[in-house]
Amino acid sequence: MIKNIVLAFFIVLLIGCGKKEGGLFMNPTPEKTGITFSNNLTETNDLNILDYLYFYNGGGVAIGDINGDDLPDIYLSGNQVKNKLYLNKGNLAFEDITDKAGVAGLSTWNTGAVMGDINGDGLLDIYVCAVVGINGFIGHNELFINNGDETFTESAAKYGLDFETFSSNAAFLDYDLDGDLDLYLLNHAVHTQKTFGKSDLRFERDDQTGDRLLRNDGQSFVDVSEEAGIYGGINGYGLGVAISDFNQDGFPDIYVGNDFHEDDYYYLNNGDGTFKESLKDYFGQTTRFSMGNDVTDINHDGWPDILSLDMLPEDETVLKSSEGDDDIQIQKLRIEQYGYHYQFTRNMLHINQQGGKFVETALLSGIAATDWSWSSLFADYNQDGEQDIFISNGIPKRPNDLDFINFASNDQIKMKIDNTKLVDQQALDMMPSGNIPNYVFEGSKNLRFIDRSKDWILRDTLISGATAMGDLDNDGDMDIVTNNINHTATLYINKTDKKANYLRVKLKSPGKNPFAIGAKIVSYHKGILQYKEMYTVRGFQSSSEPVIHFGYGKVTKVDSLRIIWPDRTTQLLKDLAVNQTLIIEPENKTPISYPLFTQRKNVIFKKVEGNLGIDFVHREDSYFDFNRQKLIPYQFSDRGPAMAIGDINNDGSQDIFFGGSKLVPSKIYTQYSEGFREKTIREIKKDSVKEDVEAVIVDFNGDGKNDLFIGSGGADFFDQMPPLSDSYYVQKDTTFISGQLPATFQNASVLASADFDSDGDIDLFVGNQMITNDFGKIPQSYLLENKNGAFEIVENQSLLNIGMVTDAIWDDYNGDGSLDLIIVGEWMSPVFFKNKDGKLELDDMDTALHKGLWQSIIPFDIDNDGDTDYLLGNWGLNSKFRASQKAPMKMYYADFDANGSTETIVTLEKNGENYPIEGLKGLSEQLVSLRKKFTAYKDFAGKPIEGILSKEELDKAKLFEVSELRSGYLENNDGNFKFAPFSVDLQVAPIMTFLKYDFDGDGKEEVLAAGNYFGVKPYHGRLGSFAGAMIKGKNDVILGADIGLDFSQKSIRHLNIINFNNHPYLIATFNNEKVQVYQLIKKIDK
Amino acid sequence: MMKKISILILLMVLGSCQKNEEPIIISPNLLHQSIDKVTDIMIHDIFSPPVASRIFAYPNIAAYEIIAANNGQYKSLAGQVTDLTPIPSPKSTTSVNPQLAALIAHMDMSRRLIFSEDKLNVFRDSLYTIWSLQNPTEFEASKEYGLSVAEHISAWMDKDNYKQTRTMPKFTVMSNEDSRWQPTPPSYMDGIEPHWSKIRPFVIDSSEQFKPVPPPVFSMDVDSPFYKELKEVYDISKEITAKGDSSDEIAMAKFWDCNPYVSVTYGHLMFATKKITPGAHWIGIAKIACKKTSSDFNKSIFVYTKTSMAIADAFISCWDEKYRSNLIRPETLINQYIDENWKPVLQTPPFPEYTSGHSVVSGAASTALTNIFGDDFSFEDDTETPYGLPVRKFSSFDKAADEAAISRMYGGIHYRAAVEVGVKQGRDLGKFVMEQLNMKQESQLATMQ
Repeated sequence: MIKNIVLAFFIVLLIGCGKKEGGLFMNPTPEKTGITFSNNLTETNDLNILDYLYFYNGGGVAIGDINGDDLPDIYLSGNQVKNKLYLNKGNLAFEDITDKAGVAGLSTWNTGAVMGDINGDGLLDIYVCAVVGINGFIGHNELFINNGDETFTESAAKYGLDFETFSSNAAFLDYDLDGDLDLYLLNHAVHTQKTFGKSDLRFERDDQTGDRLLRNDGQSFVDVSEEAGIYGGINGYGLGVAISDFNQDGFPDIYVGNDFHEDDYYYLNNGDGTFKESLKDYFGQTTRFSMGNDVTDINHDGWPDILSLDMLPEDETVLKSSEGDDDIQIQKLRIEQYGYHYQFTRNMLHINQQGGKFVETALLSGIAATDWSWSSLFADYNQDGEQDIFISNGIPKRPNDLDFINFASNDQIKMKIDNTKLVDQQALDMMPSGNIPNYVFEGSKNLRFIDRSKDWILRDTLISGATAMGDLDNDGDMDIVTNNINHTATLYINKTDKKANYLRVKLKSPGKNPFAIGAKIVSYHKGILQYKEMYTVRGFQSSSEPVIHFGYGKVTKVDSLRIIWPDRTTQLLKDLAVNQTLIIEPENKTPISYPLFTQRKNVIFKKVEGNLGIDFVHREDSYFDFNRQKLIPYQFSDRGPAMAIGDINNDGSQDIFFGGSKLVPSKIYTQYSEGFREKTIREIKKDSVKEDVEAVIVDFNGDGKNDLFIGSGGADFFDQMPPLSDSYYVQKDTTFISGQLPATFQNASVLASADFDSDGDIDLFVGNQMITNDFGKIPQSYLLENKNGAFEIVENQSLLNIGMVTDAIWDDYNGDGSLDLIIVGEWMSPVFFKNKDGKLELDDMDTALHKGLWQSIIPFDIDNDGDTDYLLGNWGLNSKFRASQKAPMKMYYADFDANGSTETIVTLEKNGENYPIEGLKGLSEQLVSLRKKFTAYKDFAGKPIEGILSKEELDKAKLFEVSELRSGYLENNDGNFKFAPFSVDLQVAPIMTFLKYDFDGDGKEEVLAAGNYFGVKPYHGRLGSFAGAMIKGKNDVILGADIGLDFSQKSIRHLNIINFNNHPYLIATFNNEKVQVYQLIKKIDK
Repeated sequence: MMKKISILILLMVLGSCQKNEEPIIISPNLLHQSIDKVTDIMIHDIFSPPVASRIFAYPNIAAYEIIAANNGQYKSLAGQVTDLTPIPSPKSTTSVNPQLAALIAHMDMSRRLIFSEDKLNVFRDSLYTIWSLQNPTEFEASKEYGLSVAEHISAWMDKDNYKQTRTMPKFTVMSNEDSRWQPTPPSYMDGIEPHWSKIRPFVIDSSEQFKPVPPPVFSMDVDSPFYKELKEVYDISKEITAKGDSSDEIAMAKFWDCNPYVSVTYGHLMFATKKITPGAHWIGIAKIACKKTSSDFNKSIFVYTKTSMAIADAFISCWDEKYRSNLIRPETLINQYIDENWKPVLQTPPFPEYTSGHSVVSGAASTALTNIFGDDFSFEDDTETPYGLPVRKFSSFDKAADEAAISRMYGGIHYRAAVEVGVKQGRDLGKFVMEQLNMKQESQLATMQ
């Protein structure tokens, strides 16, 4: 009975959902609002996506109060239809005053539309961009100067802004702080990128496509692009522009998003009228097909963060039937030969590190894939104090559909191109449509966003492009307008109303910038900082109401509001009531000094110039694992170099051994009082063919002189090829000779030395990671017993095939006084071997559930309770991999096509099904039979693994799983270990290594964690966002930026402390990079 | 109930046919049609030129072996072609129509080799329906035989290392050698089939047997032979593009483009214009020759078989050299050193430059066709008309091959050495293949002589 009632209720609810309302936003109909503007596109034989690559980019939208009635009005621009101006009459009723106002526009093809007070008379003018000079498009960018009586006068020529270029958008900024508004004009290239062309094409200015910076000289605007250092090349596909003071020095900076292979531009304002484009110095990677973008501070540190949009689909079917990222070799070519930066096809969220490098977290944040996306707007839509995101998207036809690319037949296209230069309707019909629902995400405190698209808004099937915000119904919350293709514009009316508290701020400034564009506001409530800048041109081809909006949830009082005017003055307002609109004019201003925010720096590490003479640069050999084993999830050839510290020349001071990659000799540095010097030991150097991945310096034979053991790897040599065997060099007199070693041929990953059998000599655990050309087969790892300086393998079956080992430590975890062995690895859980009288026995610990891609382990009492916990480095959460206990990441390993070589296929869970990460192209490069099974991409796309491989094929495969990707620690509870993840700050990249030491000289040990890894295909991007961190305790983690470390965009392999002249130094050894040496400042002070 | 009635009717129809079964006649045109069909599917499925040559050869051999086993005129290739053993005999010879069996074997082999089986099945099934109505006894017996031969040939084919080469390493692009091939615009595709030299050849002893002289030593010194050849490509291209699209050189280049996948990129819009491969073009010429000489079914399959084996071996030989010398394409060097904006007339295909594949294959195929039809054989080549290209006339196969070779220079995708050495490599190989193959019975040879 109860069930029936519940059911009935549920049905009522469902029916209820039929109405035109989402949980947070409602969409009033055009009939009600009077906004009937629809950007209707008509494809013709003369004009379609083949003639004009941005045929589907849509129009613009600007929101602002043009008649001073405090009701924001809406201007919408159209591509082939006339522009419209709607006057807000209150109660969400609008009146079309276009004709009276004279703002319909004369250009053939309008794009971005923005409002700004160009002439500084306190009235919002309208600037409309146009594409002119191709496809018969005529006209020019139009400037409608507000006459103050709901009419406008087109004055672009008068102001020198009547450009006849390929404009996308324009942004207002006062870059020279002279008090008036200058303009950044965003133009887009149209040349069909047949070749990459060198990146330095951007230095040659092209009048049609190059962006421009226009200085407001009072009566007219002057093009200062060249002198200001603005690129204007033929390859600048500018689609997104954002203005913000990214480095908080008081001068507005510019971020430009470029489509296709051209890099985005990050212009830092030098403060002298010029800019320095600095993208590569601050960003590890950017969006590839950059579209719109937006800037706000999402993590309450007062530094603006950037969201740049791309076009990665979330839906499996679309994802697998769309053209994906570049091949890894092509990517390398594009970067190394043509000079471009790392770009990947997905949204990127760049978190500002106090003006330093940005940390990219879109995958971790859950906002990486929103399909063909145009505009993103940050705002606190639900007014809970955290920034939310609205993303508009959609494309009428998906031209990157793989079936279209590969199978559109010649008849349909080829002839047309040769003869009349157009795609006919039949060819257009072959492209699937991309009518996808817009996205809205709820922000949270930990960089994560929750997808609210299904409950905050109604699921639409529109092509929404330009998007702007404003409080259309004057109820305090932020409403949204989208300009849609072939559909009336959508109003998203926010229903938060008074359910959560807010503050709206309008600024009024005397002089030529009445709306105080460039002003900043810092709000404080209960110790929480919120930071906003007054820039109206945001998202894509649009501008929003010049209002700053803060949400406060249930908090009713704002402790203070600091206004920072563009002229470097400030005023402070205290104890403000919420739920009001403040109109603030300059008053009691005091000068402000930059930097605005004192950096939280407590420098512990200081880089040593000259590296103490350690000039080792590791160079990886150019070997692509993916060329040979095309389906492996990541590489193995890049796990070096080896690094070991010990006294090699018997002078009592510590020396260093660095391993070389394949065919590159290793290097030894010996210590002198003035620094380190390279020392050649021919017997060791001659074995340069091997790739040295791990090394230990220990006196194995007890003769008082250190010996050297090197673990070889590299994943290139195979079978029983001699370079795959490990090396053991015994020091004799003044030279080294080869020591006795059982012949093994594996790719080594770790050497852990200890006297496990308590016989007085040092034994060695050799952990191995994988078998070349046969990833998935478990390699053999060995315990080597030291017998008078020679090694013998200890028979131990459970240890032998323990897994794909990456790290191991000897530690007495059970407190019985003897050293036990703990091993971690990939596709396995941490494994404990207890040492029972010199015999290692597998201990059945309760960690079996935590199968990870573990990279590192270190003992550390993180919870400060007196026992030893174990910190574990894992893959992290900021990657394409996803795994949980409920939905593990899976890997199938078998010789699926029975051709004598094995394959691995990795799957990820999505909506209850497991899908291979690789698409048909990738899989069929290895499994050709799939091309016969799936003759079209649409047959393959959207199929889970069971629909791709037969049951027999899957049954014969060995199945691996990963259920935990987070780094964390095993908490010791009376000998039982429970996994606890680290905070999100430590999940931004794989953690590759740990080092325990009292770095800050407080008498207690801390653990330094570092990571990043790049051995993945371009689909995964670069896992390089981790700058390093010092772990002092469970809830006491200090990020690298705060202690003087920045290991981001470098893939670390080893952290070591070395004593030089009786002072400790930190040495960081990276893959394919130069070594870094740091002074421990606090230790020197002591 | 309905089903039963249908079966009854079907039985009646079949029964009625039984009474006046006529022998099924397989015209040579049906063979031509069948090969055309497979060619169309290959274009759709996008097979690279070397792979396409393999798809032509095996079905022809299957069909040919049936003809040879059942016709005194032709001699089996078993023992002549690497590792091929005699095909099985039919269960009963009485009702087998060898030509029908040959065509069925041909279609079945083709089906195994292409991807889009459905497209071929439609063609096959309509023929099957006609034949089964025409003469079910003969059809069933021939089908059983044809399929058993296909099975036999397929088992042999499966040992040619094709499967193994699928999973061999991709070509590694990055290196410090300036002369090394790099992916080319616009789609920068990986080097295709870097292990094709490991495919088992049909007639030649090894992929290295016709190893050409090395290309001119790479040098950017303006006086070096290599640079001169590079400059020649650039100068010719400038000269002929100035003359315009109607110039004979550009007409030649376009006619012999034979690129199965020319990718086109307009912003996010991408697609490919597809054409037949060089091998397919020469199979087309073989068809023209067969038709002009009114060759019967048996002669036609003989022509196709001989030609397609020469072509297939030519690709193995050529690809062996391509990934030995790994030479960089003119487009990469010209863009880098001479003219950043230069584009070749043809899109540069995705594999190393030396030697020119079309030259080698044209040399081999023309030698095979000359061997069969004689040197003095003029023809009108309309092979490319479905792809919007005109008809070209040639006075001999050799002349056509010469033009195909030099067209690659006009197309801006090859240096002179690759063309000249390539066509010689192909002819030497073709000659060897002709000398090795003994496909006519002695008596026939005697009468021919």
